[in-house]
Formats: sequence, C-alpha cells, structure tokens
Amino acid sequence: MIEVQGLTKLYGSLVAVDDLSFSVAPGEVLGLVGPNGAGKTTTLRSLVGIIRPTRGSIRIGGHDLDTDPVEAKRHLAFMPDEPRLFEYLTVEEHLRLTARLYGIQDAEGRIPALLRELELAEKTGALPDELSRGMKQKLAIACGLLHEPTALLFDEPLTGLDPAGMRRMKQTIVERARQGAAVILSSHLLQLVEEVCTRVLVIHRGRLVAIGTIAEIVASRPDLQGRSLEEIFLALTGT
Amino acid sequence: MIGSALYLARHSLVNGIRRRLKRLRQPKYMVGFAVGLLYYYWLFIRPRGQVGGGTLPRSAAEVVAILGLGALVAMGWLFGSSRSPLVFTPAETHFLFTAPLTRHQVLNFKLLRSQLALGLSSLLSVLLFSGGHFPATRILRVLGLWLVFATLQMHSGVTALVRQSLEEHGVTAVRRRLGAFVLLAGIVGAAAFALRGGGQFAGVQAAFMAGPASGFEALSTLLHRGVLGVLTWPLAALVRPALAPDLAAFAARLPAALLVVAVHYVWLVRSSVAFEEVAVESAERMARRIAAWRSGRRPPPAAGAAKRARPPLTRLAATGSPVRAIAWKNVQAEWRGSGVRLPVLIGIGVIVVAWVASLGEEAGTGLQVLAMLFLMVGAMAVVFGPYGLRNDLRSDLQLWDLLKSYPLRGADLVAGEALGPVTVLTAIAWASFLAGFFVSLGFDMPGFSVSERVAALLAAAIAAPALLCVTTLIQNAAVLFFPAWITVGPARAAGVEMIGQRLVTMVGSQVLLVVALIPALVMASVAIAIGGLAGVTGVWLAVPGAVAVAVTLAFEARLAVVWLGRVFERSDPAAEIGG
Repeated sequence: MIEVQGLTKLYGSLVAVDDLSFSVAPGEVLGLVGPNGAGKTTTLRSLVGIIRPTRGSIRIGGHDLDTDPVEAKRHLAFMPDEPRLFEYLTVEEHLRLTARLYGIQDAEGRIPALLRELELAEKTGALPDELSRGMKQKLAIACGLLHEPTALLFDEPLTGLDPAGMRRMKQTIVERARQGAAVILSSHLLQLVEEVCTRVLVIHRGRLVAIGTIAEIVASRPDLQGRSLEEIFLALTGT
Repeated sequence: MIGSALYLARHSLVNGIRRRLKRLRQPKYMVGFAVGLLYYYWLFIRPRGQVGGGTLPRSAAEVVAILGLGALVAMGWLFGSSRSPLVFTPAETHFLFTAPLTRHQVLNFKLLRSQLALGLSSLLSVLLFSGGHFPATRILRVLGLWLVFATLQMHSGVTALVRQSLEEHGVTAVRRRLGAFVLLAGIVGAAAFALRGGGQFAGVQAAFMAGPASGFEALSTLLHRGVLGVLTWPLAALVRPALAPDLAAFAARLPAALLVVAVHYVWLVRSSVAFEEVAVESAERMARRIAAWRSGRRPPPAAGAAKRARPPLTRLAATGSPVRAIAWKNVQAEWRGSGVRLPVLIGIGVIVVAWVASLGEEAGTGLQVLAMLFLMVGAMAVVFGPYGLRNDLRSDLQLWDLLKSYPLRGADLVAGEALGPVTVLTAIAWASFLAGFFVSLGFDMPGFSVSERVAALLAAAIAAPALLCVTTLIQNAAVLFFPAWITVGPARAAGVEMIGQRLVTMVGSQVLLVVALIPALVMASVAIAIGGLAGVTGVWLAVPGAVAVAVTLAFEARLAVVWLGRVFERSDPAAEIGG
C-alpha cells in the first residue's frame, strides 16, 4: 500500500509538486503521466526517500517515510530508467550486497532462483560493463525484486529495451501486481500505461489533474468521450 | 581544413570563456575564481629565485630530458592502453567522420585542433620553472617544449593504433606487454653488453663519485656515443631545441627536431589500422561519460575497465552487517579498480634504490634504505592515502539516489562508505610498517634496540587506523557539504574557479584535521605522563600515547559519523548536484 497526502516539493520559489494526494492499493498498477517538467520524477524520488518533501506525508506499507524511513524502504523497490549499478561488483555480488542491505535471511536460496528466472545465471561473474543494456536492466530488476517488495516504483521502465525485453518488463510489472504489490509506473508511453495500468494519475505543473481508470476520467469529462488516451492526455494537460 | 579547425577553435574558446564569465555570478564560482587566480599568480608569476640549475652543467638538463623522455616512451609501450590521445569529441566524430573528408584531412584537423592545448601546456610548464622572470629567449623554450609535446602526442597515437591492431589480431594485453618488455629489455641489454666491454659504466660511476657535474658530463658523453648514441639520437634531437641557450643554437637544432616530428607524423598517418575505430570508441566512451554526468549519474568506467572481474579478495556472505557490506563493496572497488602500474613501479623503484644503496661500502646500507622506504610508504599511505583512495561517498556521489533508497540509517551508510578506503589504507600501512620492522632486524641501529622498534611499530599500528578514519571522514564531509565543489564533470570541472574551489576545500580539510588532532594530542600527552609515572620509559611511552590518540580520534570519528549520517539523510541530491 502506498499512501500520499498533501505531497509538496519546493525548490526555492519553484513548485515542483503541489499538494498531491493519492493512494495505491495492493494489486494496483497506477500510471503516472504528465508532460516534461510536470513533476513526475520529483514525485517518484520523494516516494522512494531520495528527496525530502517540503510538506506532506508518504506511507509505504503502513510506515511513514519521514519518521520511519528504514522500515518504509524495506518494503520499497525503485527501478529508475537507467540501471544504477556499482561498476566493480559482479552480477552475483550486486545481489549479495542487496541481500545484506535489506537484511534478507534466505538470500542464499533466492539468489540462484532469481538469476535463473531473469536469465542471468550465465553472467554471475560479469561486471556491469560486460553486460548489455538489457542485461543491466535485468540485474537492476533482480536487485529490486530480491527482497520481495510490496511497493514497486518504475520510472520509464522500457527505456533502451529491445522488444523481447519490453515484453518481459511488462510481464514483470503485471506479475508483481498480481502477487499483491502496489505498483506506480511513470512513463511517457501512453500505450504502455493503457496496457499495464489499472488506474492513471495525470499530473501537470506539479498538480494532480485527474486520477482514476480511463473510464472514470472520461466520465468526469464528457467532452473526452470516444477519444484515445493520447487525446485525453493532451486535453487534460493542455499541451 | 585549416580554416575549419581555426574556426572551431576560435568559437569554442570564445563561447567557453563567455560561459565561464556568466557562471562567475554565482558566489561559489566567484570565490573559487579569486582563489584560483591567486594560486596561479603564486605558482607562475610571483618573482622568486631561479628554480633548479645550481652548479650542474647544461649537459645535465639534456641527460635528464633524454632519460625522462625515454622512460615516458617506454612506459607508453609497456603500460599504455589502446585509448588514443587523439580523442575526438562526440560532436567531432559526428560531423567529421560523416563529412566528405579524407582520413588524412580528419587526422590533420585533430592534430591542428590539439595544438592550442599543447602550446598552452608548454607555456605553463616554462612559466612554472621561470622563477617569475620571462625574458624573450624563454619563447624558444616554449616552442621547443611544444615540439616535444606534439611529438609525444603523435607517438602515443601510434602506440594506441599498434595496440588496437594487435588486439584485433587476438594478442592479449599481457602478451602485448610481455612482448614490449622483452623488446625493450633486449635493446637495453644489447646496449649494456656493448658498453660493458669498454669499461664505460665504470668511468661514469667514477665520474659521479667525483661530483654530479663531472658525472653528468660523462653520462652525456656516453649517451651520445656508439650504440647508445644511435638509440638516443631521436630523443636528443627532440629535446635539444627546448634547451637551446639562444636563437642561433635553437635554429641550428631545429631541423633535426623537425625531422623527428615529421617521421612521427608520417608514421601516424600511414599506420595500417584505421584510426577511426579507436577514435570512435573513445568518442563513444566520452559521450557515455558526459551523458552520465549531465544526468547526475556516475559515468561508466575509464579505459581498460571493461575487463573480466578480478576474483574478489573475500566473498561477501549474503547475511550480516550492512555496514560491513558497504565497506566490502568499496574495498572491492579499490581492488578491481586499481591498476598494476603504480604498485609495479613502486616495487621496482624500491628494489632499485635498495640495490644501488647496497653497492656502498658500508655493510647493511641497502637494508637501511629498504627499511626507510617501507616506513615512508606506510607513512604516505596514512598521510596522503585518504586523498588518493576515493572509493567512498566521493565516488558514490553520482549514485546518491541509489544509496538513499536503501533501508539504512544515514550513519550506517556513512560509516560503511568511509570504512572501505580506511581498511585498504590500514592494510597497506600495517604491511609497510611490519616489512620495515622486519628489514630493520637485519642491521644494527645504535640507540634504537629491537624492543624499542617493537614499541614504535605498535604505536604506529595503533594510531594509523584512527588517523585514517578521521582524515577520510573529513574528505567525505566535504562531499556532503559541498557536492557541487567536489563533483568533476565536463560541464563544470575545468577552469580557474575549479582550481580555487579545490584549494579552498583542501585548506578547509587541513584546518579541520588540525582541530581534530588537538584533543588527541592533549590526551596523548596525558597518557604519556601517566605512563611515565607508571614506570614506562623511552620509546615505549609512545604506545600509551598512540592508544590515547586512537581512542580520542575514534570517539571523534563516531560523533562525525552520526552527524554526517544526519546530514546525508537531510541532503537533497537534486537540489545540490543537479541544481
């Protein structure tokens, strides 16, 4: 469960995110969409604890991210658009390090299974520099999934992936939601959002413009009836 | 082509200066700029006495230059990578390689374009040793050095292309270096063999015993005669214009130097391997690095890092302390990221110095020098190591967002980050001190018994890790408080202001270190006094002193970790780095 109340982030006089409130229930995939500079990345980074909100509260799995950040982060996994990896750790060492950081007790059993599942078993001794873009992405996903998070955040998850990689990524997102994780997916790819997400949150200039299923959004705006998601998006954001 | 190169150079320079001037509106850059200007004045312009020279003859400078240049060339063949010094920027690659230009034209463009930087380097090098005086004849030295730098650049280009060619033919780096080593050793061996018969080495040795001036004269004569004369001719021809005392001498020496330059140019353009592949690879690597820096991420590894992973020093268990796991990660990074060049060179240097010292008449001189060198290596690891080993928050700065997403307290993270380099440096320091101690057992030291040497070893071993902890934490604190000043990236790394910022940071770090050491030294004095009252005497008093220093510094480090942890938790990388 991800609960956000009154999230606001200011950079000096610039309002990056303005009084954003929403929640994502287990099993839900929420699509976070908006034009460039709308505040999507700031929102995601606030939800992960990378940046501190100026105001508002964020609860992950019932734990307040501000007052109990360690426990909140134990339930979280963040998959950025570009895999963040340590250049001098091998594939297997990344997973072992992650296991130590997240305090996973049965990691010795989980690591080989996860490596097989993500087709990384042949690359356990490779450094990130020896991996292709898709392999790096898989490794980042493996690190994110190792502790079986209940809240998953994806930022442009299909960036740089080939068609097979894209398909696997979409399967991973849907599969994790089916298993009970609350998922937030930020992307400019409206087709992806339409295909994978159960609800959509449209953000513009840091403010929530619309939230709900596409049917709910259209119901609240009869003028959008019969339009494609792209047209709905453009109409909502005025771009 | 010349017009295009000049156009690009002129406009890049003007726009670069314009951007830097605009940046000076920000106080952090203005302060850095002012300090940087003062530094440059102090380094290059302020009037001072002549540097070096002394009573040594002119031939000494030539000998040193020839040997230095020879060493650089040999090092390039032995340890250089296949990364060309003629690095094309991504934009140059895109515009030039797709333009209707011949390969020679592209190469000429790059060579021309790099002359500005080489000329500036020559000027600064001459200014550095000018003692604040810059008579007109110094221009000749600048021009001479320019020739040397330009030739070295082309030579490095050739070695990179040869390496690339060998790689394409399946020759591994080890075999390549071994081949270069065997070839160089063969040349040196053949020259040594040819000279040995005539007793010429003994003559040089005797001349040095008589004094450095006569020694260098003899060495100069040796280097210009026979086999050695042939081998060193290109080196001598290249360095002699830079050492010319007047215009006439410069003009006389110039043709030979230009011949060496021309040979290198022809060698470079006629290299059988297409340089584009090396250049494009370098450009792509640079593009990845620029993209990474600009998006606030750590750049991909530098040249040569895309190798198979070295086996880990120890295997990380999947369960246990996260602090130790982060420290382990940083130790691995030091282990896998460090090249073999520096340790090999230090090792060879130590052996050579000890061997030369052992040739002296007094028994045990070699061992004494060896022991001293080990102690120096240990001391340097403690004093300078934390500035050199940066696999802590300084290197993880660009992965700040990843670190912040971990379920860890800030203090644990800071502790783990700092412990990595501290562990490595402590191991180096302890190993060096221990080696120095064991070597010292091989000779007598009047007034410093074995027992007292044990005491000194213990004291050094106790104090070293605590001192390393504090120094490393100060460096990490600098990153946390002034990330924009520490970050190195193409968009903001260069310039007078960055030099100034680094100086301010360095001075601040030193002041903090002194402040941290004051309580430790007070406690050490108290401990020594108590030890004296308890009957401890002589060098053994250093042990309670070291314990007091270690305990005090460890306490300070603990406080600093907690404080820096809170700073880390509150920090906002987007505002501080990206902004």
